[in-house]
Amino acid sequence: MTESISNLWSIALLVTIPIFATIIVNLLFNRNRAIKYISLISALSLVVITILSPYGFQWFTGQPALNPNTLTFTFDASIPAWRMALEFYFGPLQQVLIFVMALILVLVIGIATNGLTKNQGPYIGMIFLLFMSAAIIIMVNDLYHLWIAVEIGSLVVVGVVAASGEGIGQKAALKYALFSALSGAGLAIALALILGLTGYSNISDAIRYIQTTNLAGMSSILYVAFGFFILSWIYAGGLVPIHPLKSEVYGAAFPHGTAMLQAQSKLMLVAIGLVMLRLFGSLPFAREVMLSISVLTMMLGVVMALLQTDLRWILAYLIVSHSGLVTVGISLGTYDALVGGLFQAVNDVLYMSVLLLGCEAVYYFGKGTSTKTAVGIAKKAPWLALAMVLGTFAASGIPPFNGFQSKIILIQSALKVGLPEVAVVILILSVTTFIALFRGIYSIFLKPAETTPLAVSGSVPSEAQEDDKETPIPRGLYLSLAILVVITLILGVYPDLVIRFLTPVAQAVSIPWYP
Amino acid sequence: MIQVTIQLLAFFAAAVLVIIGIAGMLFLDNLIKKIIAFTLLSDGVNLLLVAVGYVEGGIVSILLPGMSTSEFASRAVLVFPVGIVLTNIVIGVSTTAILVALAIVLYRRYGTLKASKVLKGERR
Amino acid sequence: MIELSASFMVVAYVMVIGITIGAVAALLQKDLLRAAFISGAECIALAFFFQALLAPDIGLTQAIVGTVLLPGIIILGIFKTRRTEEE
Repeated sequence: MTESISNLWSIALLVTIPIFATIIVNLLFNRNRAIKYISLISALSLVVITILSPYGFQWFTGQPALNPNTLTFTFDASIPAWRMALEFYFGPLQQVLIFVMALILVLVIGIATNGLTKNQGPYIGMIFLLFMSAAIIIMVNDLYHLWIAVEIGSLVVVGVVAASGEGIGQKAALKYALFSALSGAGLAIALALILGLTGYSNISDAIRYIQTTNLAGMSSILYVAFGFFILSWIYAGGLVPIHPLKSEVYGAAFPHGTAMLQAQSKLMLVAIGLVMLRLFGSLPFAREVMLSISVLTMMLGVVMALLQTDLRWILAYLIVSHSGLVTVGISLGTYDALVGGLFQAVNDVLYMSVLLLGCEAVYYFGKGTSTKTAVGIAKKAPWLALAMVLGTFAASGIPPFNGFQSKIILIQSALKVGLPEVAVVILILSVTTFIALFRGIYSIFLKPAETTPLAVSGSVPSEAQEDDKETPIPRGLYLSLAILVVITLILGVYPDLVIRFLTPVAQAVSIPWYP
Repeated sequence: MIQVTIQLLAFFAAAVLVIIGIAGMLFLDNLIKKIIAFTLLSDGVNLLLVAVGYVEGGIVSILLPGMSTSEFASRAVLVFPVGIVLTNIVIGVSTTAILVALAIVLYRRYGTLKASKVLKGERR
Repeated sequence: MIELSASFMVVAYVMVIGITIGAVAALLQKDLLRAAFISGAECIALAFFFQALLAPDIGLTQAIVGTVLLPGIIILGIFKTRRTEEE
């Protein structure tokens, strides 16, 4: 597809349709049927727009002048207009990532409109805003909108987590809100520093200025800006110093909300990581700092996951540790590693959604998701157990599934740049993921239900055992699981379906690694 | 000898506000105090942005009648940071509102505003 | 023009001192209500500083938001919870 020079229709629609959907479902508040149809139609239209859209730009100020020689006024009267300003770009990477996000949005809305009964409008609205912030942040090419999208995204994450209504959710929401206030202000400071240093907020222009101008004495400012970027990167993905906080956020939200949250977090990680790689990738020690944070995240997250006894919390820590895989690819920064990291982001969103929606289904049996209380569900729901096991295979990188393809690319690229330690850590992560997940899934699904309490308490009427509110799983949940499992299988067999979308970005951004 | 300009003073004040704000958010124990510290931090960021856009000996960025565009372009203070600051003020207010709402909810649940008690992790 | 910028320098010096004292005083106050009011006063100083930095529109916005809206939200929170800092 060709790139057009005028503004693209689809970018504006990708941002405004979620906003209008949010406003409408907020006004409908509790009219559940209307909310269901309107939100499903909006989400499906987002999927269709993402597939049909050509590639191109959206300029907010300083649109391309009619005559290239005329110069319009913005900051500096000598700058040509068209690389000037606030710019969104919709390209192959954006297409595939937004498509995956929109797919998850459709499935999550289908589930949330069935499951929730109270205050449905605002909750669905917040899920739409999550999609919008992620879509903006993956499309921006200027620091101003990057910062705005991070701020909107953080406020919406706080809302989704607090909506779970438990004490631990509200605690996690307040902690996350405080930290996001800090890191949002840090990102604004970084924006101010780069704006003051280069005079541009457009990232491409700022990079060109930094590379072509001698920043004598001022290059320390770049390090300060890099530090604040690292802060917001850590916050966006829950990387190592705050991994307990982000996993509390994941664990405390509803599981379908977590599916949306983790997709948004992966997109934010990719977007901020690519910006950091482009702006600061040539600074000494920058990529080493990013790489060490990623490796520590993988190790610590998976160790914490081994200690949990609740499927929800196992998944929460695993999501954080698998974010480390995405960031390893981005911080290595070579062509292969970037392809692997971006592909891992797509795969991660898909297989973690399988596991999270399966975890949501476990709730319908009325005994929670703790490995101690919920046992023997495989007999009641064999297809659910099959989907969970297949999701586990995908997450731990077992060959016919998609997790294998991206992990093998990452391992090979780590070996190629001469860092076998990183490859070993990725292998350990795969094996430990399998152990942690299978331990939880075995005791929830396969372990036989204990019948001893019935036999002992003979005086208690048998209805007392059946008082748990067990409800049939809606068909939509099974359908979503089936769709996601099929997609993971297809991507595992034909990885080129996605990889050909990722190669242009990897070629444009990659920097050779020299230790 | 560095000549003290108004821009330098603004950078100094912004640094003071940012440092006080970050230290307050990290080390103060009261939730409302943390929120006040966040407003200070947000003010510091605003001041930094406006100071970045300042032009020494400039004019206010309003195109008055009878002023030529090139003269305006060479002398006016930068407009873009002003837009960013307006956004930041709005974001600061909404973040403060959310933080206060969560603090009220948690006060009802736990009966205290001490962050060391409210935000303590639960054993799972 | 010269005398205008000189007077702006005086404003700036006073306001830097005002901002610093206000920020520290707001955080050292035990009474949360008083802390909210002091942070509002600090925002007045900041608004004057914006005026001196040739950004009068931001000064106006900051004066309204910083002295009415933000302390209003915080005072609402204080009334719904408690006024003094507990030990």
